[in-house]
Amino acid sequence: MIKLLFVLMLLGGRAFAAVGCDLNDPDRDVKRLFPDSTGYKTEYLSVEKVGGEPLYQKMEAALGDKFSGIYEKIDVPYTVYTVLKDGAPIGFIHGVNQKGKYGGMQVVLALDTKGVIQSFYFQKLTSKQAAALRSPDFGNQFKGLSLTDFAAYDVANHAFPPESKAAKIQNPTEETDDFYAALRGTKKNLILMDNFVFKAEGKQ
Amino acid sequence: MNLLTLAFKNLERRKLRTAFTIVGIALSSWVLVTLLGFNQGYKNALNRDIEGMGFQIVLTAKGCPYEAATLMLKGGTGLRYMPESLYPEIQNAPEVAQTTPMIMHAEFDPYKGENGGTTVFLGIDAATYPAMKPYFKFLSGGWFSAPNAREIVMGYEAAELEQREVGDAYLLPGSEQEFTVAGILQRTGTQDDGMIFLPLQTLQETFNKKGVLTMIGIRLKNDVNTADFEGQLYKIPDVQVVSMAQVRNTIVSLVTSAKIIVMSVAAIAFLIAVFGVLNTVLMSVFERYQEIGILKSMGALPKHIFMLIWTETVLLCASGSLAGIAFSYLFASVSERLIRAFLPFAPHGNLIELTPNLLIFSFLAITLTGIFGGLLPAIKAAKIRPLEAIRSENT
Repeated sequence: MIKLLFVLMLLGGRAFAAVGCDLNDPDRDVKRLFPDSTGYKTEYLSVEKVGGEPLYQKMEAALGDKFSGIYEKIDVPYTVYTVLKDGAPIGFIHGVNQKGKYGGMQVVLALDTKGVIQSFYFQKLTSKQAAALRSPDFGNQFKGLSLTDFAAYDVANHAFPPESKAAKIQNPTEETDDFYAALRGTKKNLILMDNFVFKAEGKQ
Repeated sequence: MNLLTLAFKNLERRKLRTAFTIVGIALSSWVLVTLLGFNQGYKNALNRDIEGMGFQIVLTAKGCPYEAATLMLKGGTGLRYMPESLYPEIQNAPEVAQTTPMIMHAEFDPYKGENGGTTVFLGIDAATYPAMKPYFKFLSGGWFSAPNAREIVMGYEAAELEQREVGDAYLLPGSEQEFTVAGILQRTGTQDDGMIFLPLQTLQETFNKKGVLTMIGIRLKNDVNTADFEGQLYKIPDVQVVSMAQVRNTIVSLVTSAKIIVMSVAAIAFLIAVFGVLNTVLMSVFERYQEIGILKSMGALPKHIFMLIWTETVLLCASGSLAGIAFSYLFASVSERLIRAFLPFAPHGNLIELTPNLLIFSFLAITLTGIFGGLLPAIKAAKIRPLEAIRSENT
């Protein structure tokens, strides 16, 4: 019977899930990004679950670019970490997958309760410019920015309005593809969080 | 009136009896054809599943962590190599059906994750490797354009993680070397989903591993005893044998058990058919005792009577056999569904294979049964004495 089960396991059906972006080590990462935190809760959301096709199209319009690839489908599960201090939310952590020039990147943002970026980092990055893009100097440029600063970013033409605070973000390298990918990933992350968390809170 | 017409007319006179006899033979024939078809289909389906498992034996250098998962746990260290010159020796062994050489390489990527990580590459021979993994299907693209192409094929999860599409560039971790994505595989549910494949030669050149291999995948011929062959492989110094023998032997024993059961049931169905025909025709002869006597008194010779009864038997068997074959053909999918519902383990693919050869064999077998089964009643009828037979009606 054990042999038979082994055969069944070997030849049997398989179940699969869509690609998401979880923190590598949530306990460690939450504490590192929010040293005052006393806990966190994890929520798995998808555009399909929150608002369906209309929201998907609305978010695509807000991004100013078509969603593409298996990591940007309507059913992709996003993991939102709500960071707590004595039971009250003090911030959020959320990561997204973004296609880079040489491989996938995971753009993780730590936000305060108003949606302002507290921390930016690449959880995963394959790039010839990886060292420069991972440097704290680059990440620190995102601190204090929010969706308001990224909303007008033209993803297709890689252009910020001059008055945008985000326009000051400097590319640390001469190569532009991965820099632009990082900006697109950040904008997408902020749009998702706006719809998953901040707009939902506003409605309550 | 010839013998065949007379036989037809005789059968036609007793419509109900003839119909029941034909139905009886048809049912036996149906069971026989379905069981033989199942025996063939089940065996073939299991063999396909065995082949779908990929290699039955993997030969690696002694102590080599040949699995990607183990390799990652060990941080990409500990890989051992065997000389590539060993490959032709294995390839040409008479027991071997197929072989494929492989080389594995683990590269530490300092920018993978926050603290870096290991990416595992598998160098394969695109001419022999796909045949060992018949379940591989491309989501997009295909295998490498040349044995030394600077191209990669990605497993589904590797492509998902790296967000690569066919034609995209791929940066070899820790280096400035760029490769192009030639193909992305569909999910397989195995560790291959997370693998990045390179042409064997390219990997050997890129990572300075010329003339060495990590593994040789081996598939044996179906009748080969895996354990015996493994014994031969162990004689090669400094190699280890990773075998799927237990799984293969389990499947082979399943096939053998199924064959014995199926052939036993088929034999019973066959015997039922023989005795059914014998009984029916004998009954018919006894019923027509007086009639046969009259025929003889009118000048019919014993050989005419013999041929008449024999022809009737053969006609009954041939038509019953044809009806049974038609039933088995028409209801094959229903039979398969029933078998699947009852079997604890059913392999993928068609479980009942009704090939022309099998159908011809079944038809001939049942008809021959009629020919032999009809001998006794025909001899008995030929031996009937006319006077005795006519008198018997009066008594």
